[in-house]
Amino acid sequence: MTDLQIYLTLVTFAVVIGVIALDLIDMMVAGLLGVCILLVLGIIEADDLAAALRIAAGPLSLLFGGMVVARVLAKTGIFERVGKLYLRATAGSGKRFLLLLVLIVAPTCAVLPNATTVILLAPVIIRVAQELQLDFVKPMILTAIVSNSAGMLTLVGDPATFLVGSSIGMTFGQYLQKVSLGGLLAVLVIIPLLPALMPQIWHARSNVPAETVDAPIERPGFVVLGLLILGLMVVLFLIGEELPTRIVPPAVAIIAATLALLVIYAVRIEPLDNVMRDLDWKTLIFLGAIFVLVQAFSKTGLLQGMGLTLNRWFGSDFALVALVLLVGIGAMSCLLANIPVVAASLVMTKGFMVAAEAVPDVALAGGFTDWPAATLPVFIAMMFGATLGGNATLVGASANIVSVGICAKHGQQVSFSRFLRYGLPITVAQLVVSAIYVMGLTWLSR
Amino acid sequence: MIGHKITVLSRTCVAFLGTVALVVLIVDPVCAGEVLNAVKARGRLHCGVSAEIPGFSERDPKGQWQGLNVDFCRAVAAAVLGDGDKVDFVPLKASNRFPALQARIIDLLVRNTSWTLTCEAVLKIQFPAVLFYDSQAFLVPAETDITRLAELNGATVCVEKGTTHLRNLKDYFRTHEMSVNPLMIDSASEFAAALLDGRCSACTADASQLAATGLQAPGTPLAFRILPERISKKPLSPAVWGGDQEWTTIVRWVLYALILAEEEGVTRDNVTTNVSPKPPGDWLALSGEQGKLAEAMGVRTDWAVRAVKAVGNYGEMYERNLGRGSPLKIERGPNRLWTEGGLMYAPPVE
Repeated sequence: MTDLQIYLTLVTFAVVIGVIALDLIDMMVAGLLGVCILLVLGIIEADDLAAALRIAAGPLSLLFGGMVVARVLAKTGIFERVGKLYLRATAGSGKRFLLLLVLIVAPTCAVLPNATTVILLAPVIIRVAQELQLDFVKPMILTAIVSNSAGMLTLVGDPATFLVGSSIGMTFGQYLQKVSLGGLLAVLVIIPLLPALMPQIWHARSNVPAETVDAPIERPGFVVLGLLILGLMVVLFLIGEELPTRIVPPAVAIIAATLALLVIYAVRIEPLDNVMRDLDWKTLIFLGAIFVLVQAFSKTGLLQGMGLTLNRWFGSDFALVALVLLVGIGAMSCLLANIPVVAASLVMTKGFMVAAEAVPDVALAGGFTDWPAATLPVFIAMMFGATLGGNATLVGASANIVSVGICAKHGQQVSFSRFLRYGLPITVAQLVVSAIYVMGLTWLSR
Repeated sequence: MIGHKITVLSRTCVAFLGTVALVVLIVDPVCAGEVLNAVKARGRLHCGVSAEIPGFSERDPKGQWQGLNVDFCRAVAAAVLGDGDKVDFVPLKASNRFPALQARIIDLLVRNTSWTLTCEAVLKIQFPAVLFYDSQAFLVPAETDITRLAELNGATVCVEKGTTHLRNLKDYFRTHEMSVNPLMIDSASEFAAALLDGRCSACTADASQLAATGLQAPGTPLAFRILPERISKKPLSPAVWGGDQEWTTIVRWVLYALILAEEEGVTRDNVTTNVSPKPPGDWLALSGEQGKLAEAMGVRTDWAVRAVKAVGNYGEMYERNLGRGSPLKIERGPNRLWTEGGLMYAPPVE
């Protein structure tokens, strides 16, 4: 890529984000326009599209699978029943509604993919919010933010976290020892912000509708099959990668979606075309376009080249570099999908470590795991920046895009600025807490 | 009204974040992708070198780059861009060389880098061909009684950080059941001072580098001696990032063209007269008769002529920087042509 192409890529990217931020064009159209411009300028070619597809295939499969399963389950009436339980637990209190939301979403997202969790829980959350006569957009934004944050609780909770952890040879147990507490703090710091960010909901008191007798289930066989598919999906998410034939989460989502469609076809509840029509294709296409744009951005090599600059500016001061990465990657993850950002940042950070003579040259290659303890806070700062930075804006994480897409499906358009109003303060608070945590780790590793 | 203010605030935040991200990203622009296309589009070759190895890459008092590595960068620039001066030299510490290559900050690394399986297999770096056959040796103060390596048993030996010399040193002493105390030094340019102030009894590095160290010492070059033993092979090669076979081929054949030119008596002075003492030879094929070859490589037809015109043939380049024409006076040894008992050998063109 020439210098001119690099600048054109940056300008295209900035224009697409700007157009979305100012709500000038529909975000899916803006994303596609950006891709078209890069294609016409010859900045991305067939190989780049293939590379972007390789990266995007996982997240898009998870979303597609989650959407299909959620859509099929909606016909079982299960969401209504779970919604009733949730509603009773709130006792009409907006505060309890929000706290329970955090309590339900956080542990679920610690083990299940974020965006899939948002898709599965959204019908319940929207239903309860409507019963309590509350605006459901804010709880949906909160759901996305909590799901992203809870990804920090375990090594497998977020793809970006897993990418960093696995690339430095961190085990599940080591992650629990060194990072999970920071993830928990990042989730907990959201709670004291809620009264200020969502005062109408926090202070709301509603009358819970009188308990009614649930209508009898008309097609119990269909409900059982639907729940079995959901159970199978959850179990495979948890143990699929341990099986003799490794089944990765995106494959699990596709298997579950296929089985769900098979059930719909077999029981003839409704035409398959109805299910396919109801999927949020706009969100899927927008995400695909964003992945292509980020591929072009990665191709510039800008991020990868920062490793030597970091070494030139900060020498071997790992604590300072950890803070810079936390803020820098956090800022970038606001606007870019965090997986490609993390992939490029890993090259940068490893380059920095080699340049700083903390590790030998071979550390640049994949599979090097002999990282000194003093370097770990730098990688952990990367995880926090990448995972939590995505909370700030609508385009920062796939869960955010999905959440906004669901709101649009329910008749509520969420603008970039509206999301930012809640996302940015939470992200800033989370990054401050993370910085303190990383500094503590740095101090302990000395 | 309040809503409007919040929207304005949000948009300001977006603009701020976008600006911060762009400023952070634009600080250090580098290139990625097809190296040859990027070099051609840029019109400059980014070549990673050392700033401080006499005979290989250093700046003269006028700030001009000179040395064997520098000349090779110029030869590649001449072959690809038609002008040996179209090179930006990027001075790099040993520890920065591979990250710089990986991040595409440089197109080509010519910094006394050893061709090893580890670099090739693990780091995916490609070594087009050997530019200089070196070996790891030991430098001691001339006034000491040390004449053989065995006499360094238990001694402190200075080693440059970020090189393979430390491992070779440890391996040698372990296999010969001797002990050694390695002392890491930031740069080989500090070797002379370290020996003179007694921080170490000897320094170990490539023999060529140690010869240069003698020159850098205050006073006379005779202040130091190189011990006769060599403890490892050091085939020094240009390096390129793996995955761009086209670029690897060009760099490799620029070096082979310089070797073939020497083999066939083509020099900087006679190359444009197109008179070869042994026509029709491989050189003739390189020098423009085979336009399809140049086309396949993605370079101009006269690429080999321009490379030799820029720096001379391999022998000229060697003698000017390291051999008789230089203060180092390093014997060519294994760097002689294969026809003269050396290891310098270029494959046939067709």
